[in-house]
Amino acid sequence: MTLRPSPAAAGLALAALIAATTPSPAATASTQATVWSTVAASSSIEFIGTLAGGDFTGRFQRFVAGIAFDPADLAGSRFRVEIDTGSASTADADRDVALAGNDFFAASRWPRATYDASQFAATGPGQYQARGTLTIRGIARDVPVTFAFNPAADGRSAILSGRASVRRLDFGIGQGEWQDTKWLGDEVRIRFELALRK
Amino acid sequence: MQLRNTTYNYGALAKFLHWAIVILIIAQYVIIEAAEDLPDGIEKLSQISLHKSVGMLVLILAIARVGWKLADRGKPVPVTMPGWQKKAAAASHGLLYLLILLQPLSGWAMSSSANYPVTLFGWFQFPALVAPDHDLHEGLEELHEALFAVLVIVALIHAAAAVYHHFWMKDDTLRRMLPFGRKPDA
Repeated sequence: MTLRPSPAAAGLALAALIAATTPSPAATASTQATVWSTVAASSSIEFIGTLAGGDFTGRFQRFVAGIAFDPADLAGSRFRVEIDTGSASTADADRDVALAGNDFFAASRWPRATYDASQFAATGPGQYQARGTLTIRGIARDVPVTFAFNPAADGRSAILSGRASVRRLDFGIGQGEWQDTKWLGDEVRIRFELALRK
Repeated sequence: MQLRNTTYNYGALAKFLHWAIVILIIAQYVIIEAAEDLPDGIEKLSQISLHKSVGMLVLILAIARVGWKLADRGKPVPVTMPGWQKKAAAASHGLLYLLILLQPLSGWAMSSSANYPVTLFGWFQFPALVAPDHDLHEGLEELHEALFAVLVIVALIHAAAAVYHHFWMKDDTLRRMLPFGRKPDA
């Protein structure tokens, strides 16, 4: 299956998630926040790594973002993002092949990285923090994501943009000599912007 | 030793910049040739990073060299030679200044076009000169190698001329630029 951020796939992913995690049907009816579909063409998930002390930016070309979010119903909000680990693109073919390879994402063995969040807190006007679990190469770690939610005036669309920071070695990204952090930094920043539509 | 150029000698700063750039450019060739024989990995990455940092150092020194040349206008008195040789010397000097600026600039743009960062030994990062573009990267790689070939040819002519002046003409052309060579200023 090719992962492309499509409204149908996002809806399915989220429906499956809600079905799997909702404790009882009664709870579903009262606590499910607005389910958004993601407009792929105007959405991005980028990562910023450091090589020899300098930053470079890449992006994941294929992902599915299942977003149920309502500022008035944080308890009923959910994120389920699936990223195709073989789709990391950095404008350099050699580096892209290396990233998908066994020393980094090992995309043939672990084709998906996922982020699941169901705990949300407001940190300021329009600002939130999600506490969720990021799973890469089968390794799950708690990773907070800070984001801004900007709904359009008519409430039919919204921009969800935010950032997170991870340590690549926590997930085994960089095996063997690539565990060296002098030339390839441990910290990788993640930056995303999702164009949401009802 | 005088910082500025004197009647018969180049000043300490001009000499320092001249020879530092010569040594660093020779080192650059050695570094990148060694890197090209390595398999993809940390060692190759570190070697290429070193090449890029040293290249940026060459660019800074080349800018300083040209800047100092403009600031310190007094040149040692010219050695007597035919007009065509003076013109050839001026042309090759101009070309060398241009090449020591263009060589690191093309390398910097080459890294930017492949979305690789350029730093000065990791202390700080230079901004990207151009946006990532595969075809542009291929073109810049060829340009970077072609400029180096031209640089080697012009530098060899330049060095041959200095040696010719020293051993055949027995004048001070070479001695006045040597690190510790100097003739008493009258």
